[in-house]
Amino acid sequence: MFRLWKLAIRDLGRNKRRSGLTLVAVALGLGLLVLISGLMEGSVWGTIENNIRVQSGHVQVREESYDEDKVSLKWEDLLDDPQGLVAQAQDLPEVRAATPVLWASGILATGDESVGVRVFGINPLAEMSAPFREGLVAGAFLAPDDRSGVLIGRRLAESLGVSAGDHIKLLVNTSDEQPDEAIFTIRGLYDTGTPAYDEITLFMPLSKAQTFTRAGERASAIVILLNQKDDADVVALALRASGLNVLTWYDLNQMILQAVEMSMGIMNLMYLVVLAVVAVVIANTLLMSVFERTREMGILAALGMKGRQVLTMFVLEAGTLAMIGVVLGLLLGSLGVYYLATEGWHLGEMASVATAEMAYGETIYGRFAPAEMVQLSLASLIITLLASLYPAWFAARMEPIDALRAL
Amino acid sequence: MDVIEMQDVIRFYQIGEIETYALRGVDLTIEDGEFTAIVGPSGSGKTTMLQLMGCLDRPSGGTVRFMEQDVSKLNGSKRADLRKGMIGFVFQFFALIPGLTAYENVELPLLLTGAKKAKRQERVNELLDTVGLSARARHRPDQMSGGEQQRVAIARALATQPALVLADEPTANLDTENGRQVMEIMQRLNADTGTTFVFATHDPRVMPYARRIVELRDGRVTENSRHA
Repeated sequence: MFRLWKLAIRDLGRNKRRSGLTLVAVALGLGLLVLISGLMEGSVWGTIENNIRVQSGHVQVREESYDEDKVSLKWEDLLDDPQGLVAQAQDLPEVRAATPVLWASGILATGDESVGVRVFGINPLAEMSAPFREGLVAGAFLAPDDRSGVLIGRRLAESLGVSAGDHIKLLVNTSDEQPDEAIFTIRGLYDTGTPAYDEITLFMPLSKAQTFTRAGERASAIVILLNQKDDADVVALALRASGLNVLTWYDLNQMILQAVEMSMGIMNLMYLVVLAVVAVVIANTLLMSVFERTREMGILAALGMKGRQVLTMFVLEAGTLAMIGVVLGLLLGSLGVYYLATEGWHLGEMASVATAEMAYGETIYGRFAPAEMVQLSLASLIITLLASLYPAWFAARMEPIDALRAL
Repeated sequence: MDVIEMQDVIRFYQIGEIETYALRGVDLTIEDGEFTAIVGPSGSGKTTMLQLMGCLDRPSGGTVRFMEQDVSKLNGSKRADLRKGMIGFVFQFFALIPGLTAYENVELPLLLTGAKKAKRQERVNELLDTVGLSARARHRPDQMSGGEQQRVAIARALATQPALVLADEPTANLDTENGRQVMEIMQRLNADTGTTFVFATHDPRVMPYARRIVELRDGRVTENSRHA
């Protein structure tokens, strides 16, 4: 085996340009796949984490009858004792923060324009408000006892032509299903970096939202942030009680996860196509090499080398190329992913085409996907070896006298 | 002992519908230690005969024995095993492996037989010395002249101390001086080691070296004579 390897390596060194180009093909192919997998991983997890941060939290507790799509404010659909649930959640060691929220759908009207918004009532001091506090771009943040102030997204303000300090009219359907309206002052504008979210969300203190919608002390949900997102199931289990619906970030981001699952098929197809191209390049290189070295095969056969040794030699050649190519490809792909992880890929306005349920950030950051990198490397190796079988078999079954005649 | 015994050997090649005969019934015995030239014009069947002797090919009819073993029906793998340790080849073209140095080319058959490194080193150095190329051990084929390459090929053919060395037109691509050197080396090795040499040639300058001349014409032996 060792001596065949030695021969194989010598052969690779003999036609440096060809070996080099083949290496480039393997390395570029794998590098591209690693880069794409890193981008996918980053965009999926980035979106999920973004979503957790600005809207879903890690765990939510709702009344069992609460229907998210209807944004119901009926008392029977709301949590009666949100503070009790918050206290219960905060007793759990895995929980970092828990806060009641109230969601309502409303219509925001300025002088001559009106637009549908989601009213997000939350204690401005709660940790869940951090993205808005940190994302404040104009005006001031809300105080918990502010009875007439709201925050809206910068993009929404721009599209309505309003700014901090302006007054707007907000109309909501209250808990008793009566419309009510009031004038609010825009205290400030925020930008969470998630356009699809910022365009429709209006932020107001929880207590004001409760009074305005006549929900009393009730809340739509308790939003819980954890220290570790993997603890979601443990926490959900601990909070489970009759009449309550406890959801984890996994349930709350089903749409993203399903989209990922659906796109996996296409991704795998693309992986296959790239790997197939690499395989064709390898097979072609080796086949050319076999043709060029027909005479050499004859000499080796005359010296007593057997067909299967010739086969092994070619497969070893391909294997050596593949291994070096895989290392280079991993390096290349990792560099790309590293760049995307640190610099990110700025989507800008493109991000706003996403929906609020699948809120892309304005910048997608790459993230290393070690399991996929291993899988892709193995796939590259195996495909390269498979691709070498035909040329190797072709060389191995050559009759010595035919090979010698090709002189 | 007979190294080669051919009995009524026929070899034809099927090309489409047509059967082309290379050998049409050859009887020939090569004894141990002989230095035999097979002569004849192009297409007379010299190369085919060497390939059959060298277990590179199987006859279409008749029997070929190598070292008293019938090799006519052996499969490719068994014939490869025989060639590996027992038969050396020198070809008309200087059949060295291009990427390997002179040393490595001579070492190749020893690698294939699994000889130990120390043994290989000793043998390769000895052979390169014999063919006068110790100084060229680290050179690759493209850095050597045709004559030098052919001498390396002879060293390689002898690496495993084979019972038989077959040389197909070993001087055809060499000038007179290099041709003479190659023949003298083979003659000397034959005399010193007793290795059996059979070479095919149509080069009249080479024939005087042979102690026995077998003439082939149209696939048949037409003359078989021994010299002193």
